Amino acid sequence: MNNRCFWLFMFAFLFGILLPVSAEEKILKIGTLFPLTGSCALAGQRCKAAVETAVEIINNKHPEINVPLAAGEGVLGYKIQLVHADSQGKPDVGKSEAERLFDQENVYAIIGCYNSAVTKPASFVAERKKKIFVAGCSSSAALTERKMHYFFRLAPNDRIESKEFCDFVQWLNKNNSSNLKTLGLIYENTEFGKHAADEAKQIASKYEMEVVVDVPFNPGATNLNSEVTTLKDKNPDVIFGACLGGDYTLFIGTVNQQNWLPKVALNYCSGFQDPQISKQLGEKGYYFAGASGYSPDFVKIMPVAEAIEKLYKEKTGVPFDTDSILETVGMLVLGQAIEKAGTIDSEKVAETLHKEEFVSPLSFGGKVTFDEQGQNNKAMSVVVQLQNGEYRRVYPPEYSTASVTFPIPSWDKRK
Amino acid sequence: MSDQSGASGNLDPSPVSSSSYTKSVSDFIGIGLLLFLLVLPKLSVLFGAIENYIFPAPYGRFQNLLSSNFLHVLILIFLYSAMSQAWNIIGGYCGQISFGHSVFFGIGAYGAGMSVVKYGMVPWPGVVAGAFAASLIALMISYPCFKLRGHYFAIATFAVVEIFNRMFMVWDWINGALGLDYPIIEEGWKQFIWYDSKVEYYYGALALMTLIFFIVRFLETHRFGYYLRAVREGAEIAESLGVDSTRVKLSAMALSAGITALCGSFFVQYNLRVDPPMVMSLDMSLNFVLITVLGGIGTLWGPFLGALVLIPLQEYTRAWWSGDGLDLIIFGFMIVIVVLKQPQGIQGIVSNMFKTKKRE
Amino acid sequence: MNTFLQVTIDGILNGMIYALVASGLSLTWGVMDVINFAHGEFLMAAMYLTYWLAFYGGVDPLVAWVAAGLFGFMLGWLVFRLVVVHCLDKTPMAALLATFGLSMMLKNGCLYLFSPNYRVLSGTWLEGKKIIAGSLVIPLPQLVTSIFALLMVSALYLLLRKTRLGWAIQATSMDREAAELMGIDTRWILTLVFALSGACVGVAGGLMPMYLAVHPEVGSLFSLIAFLIVAMGGFGSMIGAFFAALLIGLVESYAGFYAAPVLKYVAVFSLYLVVVQWRPKGLFGW
Repeated sequence: MNNRCFWLFMFAFLFGILLPVSAEEKILKIGTLFPLTGSCALAGQRCKAAVETAVEIINNKHPEINVPLAAGEGVLGYKIQLVHADSQGKPDVGKSEAERLFDQENVYAIIGCYNSAVTKPASFVAERKKKIFVAGCSSSAALTERKMHYFFRLAPNDRIESKEFCDFVQWLNKNNSSNLKTLGLIYENTEFGKHAADEAKQIASKYEMEVVVDVPFNPGATNLNSEVTTLKDKNPDVIFGACLGGDYTLFIGTVNQQNWLPKVALNYCSGFQDPQISKQLGEKGYYFAGASGYSPDFVKIMPVAEAIEKLYKEKTGVPFDTDSILETVGMLVLGQAIEKAGTIDSEKVAETLHKEEFVSPLSFGGKVTFDEQGQNNKAMSVVVQLQNGEYRRVYPPEYSTASVTFPIPSWDKRK
Repeated sequence: MSDQSGASGNLDPSPVSSSSYTKSVSDFIGIGLLLFLLVLPKLSVLFGAIENYIFPAPYGRFQNLLSSNFLHVLILIFLYSAMSQAWNIIGGYCGQISFGHSVFFGIGAYGAGMSVVKYGMVPWPGVVAGAFAASLIALMISYPCFKLRGHYFAIATFAVVEIFNRMFMVWDWINGALGLDYPIIEEGWKQFIWYDSKVEYYYGALALMTLIFFIVRFLETHRFGYYLRAVREGAEIAESLGVDSTRVKLSAMALSAGITALCGSFFVQYNLRVDPPMVMSLDMSLNFVLITVLGGIGTLWGPFLGALVLIPLQEYTRAWWSGDGLDLIIFGFMIVIVVLKQPQGIQGIVSNMFKTKKRE
Repeated sequence: MNTFLQVTIDGILNGMIYALVASGLSLTWGVMDVINFAHGEFLMAAMYLTYWLAFYGGVDPLVAWVAAGLFGFMLGWLVFRLVVVHCLDKTPMAALLATFGLSMMLKNGCLYLFSPNYRVLSGTWLEGKKIIAGSLVIPLPQLVTSIFALLMVSALYLLLRKTRLGWAIQATSMDREAAELMGIDTRWILTLVFALSGACVGVAGGLMPMYLAVHPEVGSLFSLIAFLIVAMGGFGSMIGAFFAALLIGLVESYAGFYAAPVLKYVAVFSLYLVVVQWRPKGLFGW
């Protein structure tokens, strides 16, 4: 008796393995690949939530949100299902996870990977498999110089941002009859920081700015004293910074302790734009500036952002930042491309992405188009400055909401 | 020199793997396993064909079972057991706990990487150069470090990893922090690059592992192997028996470093990218130690068993619980449990099973 | 000249902070020959505790360090009884790997519970306060931490050298069996030592959120430097660890300023290699 039970069980089990799970249900799997653990986990988790937000909008009826695909349910009758994977911020893990997503989970496309160093090998996997890879916020300019057909990147790369910074400095010089000439660079010594610094150096020479001090540091440092002392010693007028999260707070804290300030401080990426960090830093963080593609005061020029941000806030508790909103845009643009192509054939969708112009109410400028290398041509960012706890757009003048506070008021004059 | 020197010394080698009977059983299993692994990818095709015959078209569970992800896990198992076996020579047999092996691993990786990326050649000259450079650097580092005992030695190897990591991060010739990215080039054994297929990598990793296991198996029963264990049990006693302990340790380190560099070359050819944190980090160094010790330090099978358990654990927990660190919590918990419950590692569990069987 | 003084002050302050973190490690390492790989994660956990106390209870770190110390004590006690005690009679590798597994659990446990957010305390009593003398700046939070480091190291030194308990600890560290025969409950002593070590690092974690962001990865680099300090000072030598920490702080600061910031840890780690060439058992080891 027992024996028969056993065989019945085995039989059922085998059938369970061998038969496909369910009947036809129109589901389109999309993979996300972000650093969900490790030192970039914060940004990774937010990016993941941002993609989830986009999928929520696409899959469910949201007539109140005026974004393409929001009104209906799904794309071309497909519901989108996300498969999340963790790159741990490591290129080798990112590559093998990308392979797993494509081969094992049969995802249709991948959105990722935040770290440029991980995006490189992971998107390479996608290219070989002729599958679409959408990068939201990886900013290394080298990514879109690889002649890839299936790779699309939404963020303005660090070359565009460097140029904008220099323009901004020139504009300041003109308007305030100041003479900002010397430039200091402080950046984490990683793919991201190194690239940003290299671009900055190239462009600064064109603008006749002199790089007087160049300070790479190891991310995750216990202190940044020698770095800041070096900066203070050379005393550049302007600093361009590329520090993430914890390093950024440490940097601001150390600058404060050393009682030093440049006249203008501009930051490339994440640390500066994290709304929570800015809030926690309090007055210390004021008057630092950086490039931004989104901050809460953008709501006036992109009204739909408010409703979407509410969905995102439910997941993370913070408003969008420049990085995460790009991932939402990435998902929405991919959805639109599938709808416009009228098929889920990767080749056709990729072509559509290259050719068409996409309405993107969540991007600054409202449009997205890609060049033949997959760079978003319409990617734009503005210079924002943190003033009294809020990010204010200060440059270019046609988009500004506040006048720039220049130079940064010194520490003892602040209270 | 008896093999049964068991509990003495600061390491606890498993007291098995001694009698010639166990040795031949172990050899028999090893060769059997090798043959099985050799035909495994072919089996998948066979299974697939049978399955297609019975359940046509959209099914395909077996093929899925032996899919590229499964092969990926197997490749990692081979690679990591090869790496750990290389570490085992100096760490297990010779008793010098080194946390510096990621340096040699990195040098091997950069050797192949530079050869392909900077000089546009096939990787092989870089592989050879990397292995030699790693051996040489191992000698240069180890000579002063071998003066140190116990933890002082371990911390010195820590320090070496950090120094190399940071120097490589700012060394422009090898692209510093930017790392080396492989261009798209021709596939094949000559370049040792395949973009879609994993079967060739599978055989490459299997060959690498087999080579290293053969070397260690050879050492186990030959003079140099006995010297190593003599040094582990006590350098003074070994010297009194006429063994030049420094020389033995240095040659073991050079051998181990060279082999580790080979594994590094494989790693970069497999991932098609290398940057310093990928290869020269403390995390990577700990992999060597963790796998060997959990598998069974100072034993032939330990590294393989360790990799066989840890790698799938790591890969599959990440796939299943990915997202909020839960996978790594489970992974850490498993490490604690194994260390506490089975100090001789998984090899200990296996050999206990053998022992009870023999008694019956 | 002023810059040189400033760099020196920074170096000393940093060295003191390192000493505070390393003092606990020195204790366990010297007494029971156990490398506690989770040391940095103890620090991280204590920092989280302080952060939450300040965030929800409005307790300033200058008060909360007491709670953090107690928490560290209990954590140490628990970890010893659950994990480390089972490793003592095994190889030294056993304890190292077990605590490594534990560090993974703690790190990712905090990630799981508290998310990877960087948490910065603002509005603490000493925030932004500094002593300014000419062009020299001494930040108060770091200064206070340094004073704590000094007190902590002297207290531990006195405890080990001048009290009966300290003698018992020393006896245990020299020869566990002989100590047992002398009527010392070595198991209890070892537990206490481990818990004390936890308490030391707990106090460090209680003070650090004054100037350092709290996140799950914060302990990693500190623990590495702590290992270096303890080995450089000589295992079991509290004074050695203290001077090694100062030396490392200074070298880091000088190398960071006069060579290149990115090379400062290269200098620190090379320093260790040089020191042990000269004294293979550390500065004060025997």
